[in-house]
Amino acid sequence: MSLQDIALMAHLMRRAGFGATYQEIHENVSDGYDHTVDHLLDPNVSDGIQQDMLRRYHPDHSGGLGTAGMAFYWLHRMVQTQTPLREKVALFWHHVFATGYGKLAQGRVLMDQVEMFRQHGFGSLKTLLIELSRDPSMIIWLDNQDNHKGAINENYGRELLELFSMGVGNYSEDDIKACAQAFTGWTVSNAKYMKMRADNDSLWPYGRLNLHFEFDEDDHDGSEMTFLNETGVFNGEEVVDIICRQPATANFISRHMYNFFVADEPPVPQWPYREPRDPEAIQILSDAYFESGYNIAEMLRVMFKSEFFKSENVRSEKVKSPAELVAGVLRLTGESRKLTPKLQGDANLLGVMGQQLLNPPSVEGWHTGTEWLDTGNLVERINYAASKFADVNKPGIKEMIGRLAADAGGVATPETLVQDCLDQMGAISLSKTSMDALLNQASKTGKSEIGTDERETDEDILGELLRLVAATPDFQRC
Amino acid sequence: MAPGSLTLSYVKTIGICNNGLNGRGFTNPVDTAVSRDGRIFVLNRCDQARAEAIRVGICTIGEDYLGEFGDGVGDGDTQFRLVAGMAFDSEDRLHIVDEGANRITVFNSQGVFLSKWGSPGIGDGEFNGPSGIAFDSCGDCYISDQHNNRIQKFTWNGEFLTKWGGLGDDSGQLNMPWGIGVDQDDKVYVADWRNDRIQKFSSNGEHIATFGETGQSDGQFSRPSAVALDARGNIYVADWGNERVQVLDPQGNFLLKIRGEATISEWAADFFVANPDEVEVRKIANLTPVLPPRFDTPYQISSQTEPYFWGPVSVKLDGEGRLYVTETNRHRFQVYQID
Repeated sequence: MSLQDIALMAHLMRRAGFGATYQEIHENVSDGYDHTVDHLLDPNVSDGIQQDMLRRYHPDHSGGLGTAGMAFYWLHRMVQTQTPLREKVALFWHHVFATGYGKLAQGRVLMDQVEMFRQHGFGSLKTLLIELSRDPSMIIWLDNQDNHKGAINENYGRELLELFSMGVGNYSEDDIKACAQAFTGWTVSNAKYMKMRADNDSLWPYGRLNLHFEFDEDDHDGSEMTFLNETGVFNGEEVVDIICRQPATANFISRHMYNFFVADEPPVPQWPYREPRDPEAIQILSDAYFESGYNIAEMLRVMFKSEFFKSENVRSEKVKSPAELVAGVLRLTGESRKLTPKLQGDANLLGVMGQQLLNPPSVEGWHTGTEWLDTGNLVERINYAASKFADVNKPGIKEMIGRLAADAGGVATPETLVQDCLDQMGAISLSKTSMDALLNQASKTGKSEIGTDERETDEDILGELLRLVAATPDFQRC
Repeated sequence: MAPGSLTLSYVKTIGICNNGLNGRGFTNPVDTAVSRDGRIFVLNRCDQARAEAIRVGICTIGEDYLGEFGDGVGDGDTQFRLVAGMAFDSEDRLHIVDEGANRITVFNSQGVFLSKWGSPGIGDGEFNGPSGIAFDSCGDCYISDQHNNRIQKFTWNGEFLTKWGGLGDDSGQLNMPWGIGVDQDDKVYVADWRNDRIQKFSSNGEHIATFGETGQSDGQFSRPSAVALDARGNIYVADWGNERVQVLDPQGNFLLKIRGEATISEWAADFFVANPDEVEVRKIANLTPVLPPRFDTPYQISSQTEPYFWGPVSVKLDGEGRLYVTETNRHRFQVYQID
């Protein structure tokens, strides 16, 4: 098992999931890189999430009273899941198809949208966009319940083209109107009552009522239209089909995928004016899009197995989103292996760090990359990670210390001690500055004897080093 | 009444969503209990974001709201962590089970704190997530010790008597037991939550019978959370995961099921008087929609169908032949008359 293999696997698990423990990385390396990618994409693997327990202990999840319970629920899934890519892909689509609580006043229907991303986020983009167009939270979010025959509301039609599929510059204003016309009559049941309850933020009399899609044929404008140079009578399904055939769609989705999983791109509004960081990679993904019949899983498979993904140039380069940071820390420390109400505090911190799940700042979603960081939330992020590693009694940390002590076999140089700590925390790479600081600390302890049954000594030295690793700027990247 | 002739007639719905600290209405209620004088006590579990509102509300069958007691989340005598169930004993003392605090707190029927007992652990008399409680004719109580997968029997004031169970799905074993009921012969019925069945025991824990299995058909259960017994030995089960209540005869044969038929409570009616804009659009809304096939699960249906039970966590009977079904997710309880 080479160090290169371990580093590559750690990179994959950070990008295709929320990081991995030492043991998981080593097991996956034994299984092989390609096998691990295929396993991550296998829809038949159980996620292991105990829905009955979640419902029993978190009635707020069912009731959809707000975002706090939903954030807890999703973070719990990110930490507990045995299929991390499923949650990562759901998070990816939540970024792209950003839908927010503010206009819905109901967390439950938003969480249903995320569940739809889990179900359809790996399949055909065409199916996904049709499901998105039927999604009750999206309908309310972009006012499609007000999109009527003879009185179109073009909000959803515009965003479908601009932000969800093709990008600015690839369609006309007439195309937007035609697109909106195709989605007239795509609404939710009890639309007026549901809208009023959302506007009033009404819980009364008996809590939230969930929403579901309804097609009102009488309100659908089935007259002939011209859309993206094709003329005919088009419903929403046909419009989505035409959208999916466009090279612009392939490029736009590929660039989103590259931005989320490979390397940070500028914010979406700048895309019409700035070339992709790696045009060749976008072309490879676009080719996979068409060759697979718009299949997202196949695009992901091509991406994860590509040289541009494996390249050392992109490793540890992305800034972790708050969700990636928090879920990754909790998976390492092991403190949330069982359902615990304490996780609510961690979920609440996501908002403090700038990513309140299910409540993105706008339909454009979150800006990623270094835009996650400002002075305030960088301090919050570093303090969070370091404080989580301060308690050596957490099960994941105990296991790390146990392995470190066993591996040290009694004596360890500062260099091997630091390197072993980095391996235990998920084969992390450090800048020279961070490495020098850690070596300096390891040397200062004056104790190089590890694993000699002096448990307190091990915990003192190793616990401190693990905490310092978590406090490095490098830990904020993935 | 011959077996099989039992009917349940809907009487009324009491409650309205109240996510405040006090006043009429409920927040994620998990249980009801009726005092000797007929007052209905409602245990509000609340979610974590509203834990300050954990309380016991008191009302009458005539929908007069009488007040509440309890001081929210905490470890004080009148505070709670994660309340799960409650029951009155023969002396009209109310015993509240707190699975978060591993504690039983005893109040008089005026809501005045009397005593508390219980501590975390796996030893005799210790708890790991106590969740259900019921009293027998001798005044002893049975408590489902959820994560220890056992039932423990105590005197009313917490003196340990015996225990039984153990994790598993064989007869007599349990998997996260929740609600518990005692019949007139002091037989103990346990909602064996994660085994999707009801088990019947003697008062000393000998296994007598098992009713039900996993499923959605008549007589099958999905995570049953509570069980109650009427004077004839009929078994009322809160079939929580199937969002319904089932009634079995004393031998465990299926008698009937109800899905809920809630109407507007008096408190809800008052809300609409004050909010006429919602009344107008509600009039044209369909609150019992036919859902697309992909939503064909009890949970999805209940989340979109206001009259149906959603999270029917508790079933309780009173001395007047009424059945109370508490719904966590709709913040209310429905009342049925047993005929």
